[in-house]
Amino acid sequence: MIIVTGASRGLGQAICHRLIEKGERIIGLARSVEELEFEGIICDVSDYQSVKKAARSVRKMGEKVDAIINTAGVASMNLAVTTNELTVQKLIQTNLVGTIYCCQLFAPILLRQKSGSFINFSTIAVALALKGESVYTASKAGVEAFSRSFAREMADFNVRVNCIAPGPIQTDLLRGITDTQIKKITSQQVIPKQFQKEDVCDLVEILLDQKASSLSGQILNIGGV
Amino acid sequence: MNINNAKKIVIEVIESSLDFKISVSDDMQLIGGESLLDSMKLVEVCIALEDVADENGFDFDWTSEMAMSKSRSMFRTVQSLAEEFLNQSESSL
Repeated sequence: MIIVTGASRGLGQAICHRLIEKGERIIGLARSVEELEFEGIICDVSDYQSVKKAARSVRKMGEKVDAIINTAGVASMNLAVTTNELTVQKLIQTNLVGTIYCCQLFAPILLRQKSGSFINFSTIAVALALKGESVYTASKAGVEAFSRSFAREMADFNVRVNCIAPGPIQTDLLRGITDTQIKKITSQQVIPKQFQKEDVCDLVEILLDQKASSLSGQILNIGGV
Repeated sequence: MNINNAKKIVIEVIESSLDFKISVSDDMQLIGGESLLDSMKLVEVCIALEDVADENGFDFDWTSEMAMSKSRSMFRTVQSLAEEFLNQSESSL
């Protein structure tokens, strides 16, 4: 069984569909599960009690959990000086605090099994220090730092933690971003092209594979930096 | 549950995590330099206590701002951990 946060849209939804195709049992976590085409649990990752309740529900299912994939997130392309207070708080609370809540509250399930892995999500914008995304990248840089240290805390229990940092993937998060802006970002990657959801799903599959058992504490920038 | 039951549970769980090689006393330190438990064993103890709490119909929350404080942590000694375990069982009633 694999748990995916942010399962109702974007990358989370694509990952769920890919893993279901591969025969995995998926539990999608989302604020609304009515439109999910697979099993789901209502969960707002920015709310500690909500995540705790979801983790308890998963634990009570009594099934082995192979991975927790934290894709839930929000984006805001804005200069720091023009980002309002509410947006700053929402970005940090959902992207960083939400990822931490999901990792710490689902961790006991994997610790108990002494197996499994976490896949967190950052963005290539952190490594590229993209202008106009300072608060967003701050929240994701936090996810990267957390993932690296958390990986060390989990290693004794045979639990791996890695972080995928995609470039501009065509999802709702890219609403309002022009093709020219996307090109400007992708031109800074080692492989200067726009990758797709499928490429992210491929990388998720690789990280879940037993053959990736030597990988932990890594930040994998899609397209390279 | 009373404090003696809670202590018995905590001692059993700790002794089990140490493969019953050491007899555990009330004042045994659970964190700090003189502790017999490393961080991995401490997590194992917490997970085992969570399971016992589950069987007894309450949630054992082992997150705490003071978790690693030598002066205020619930993990100071067997006694302090048993007291916290008992408190959490009583507050669930």
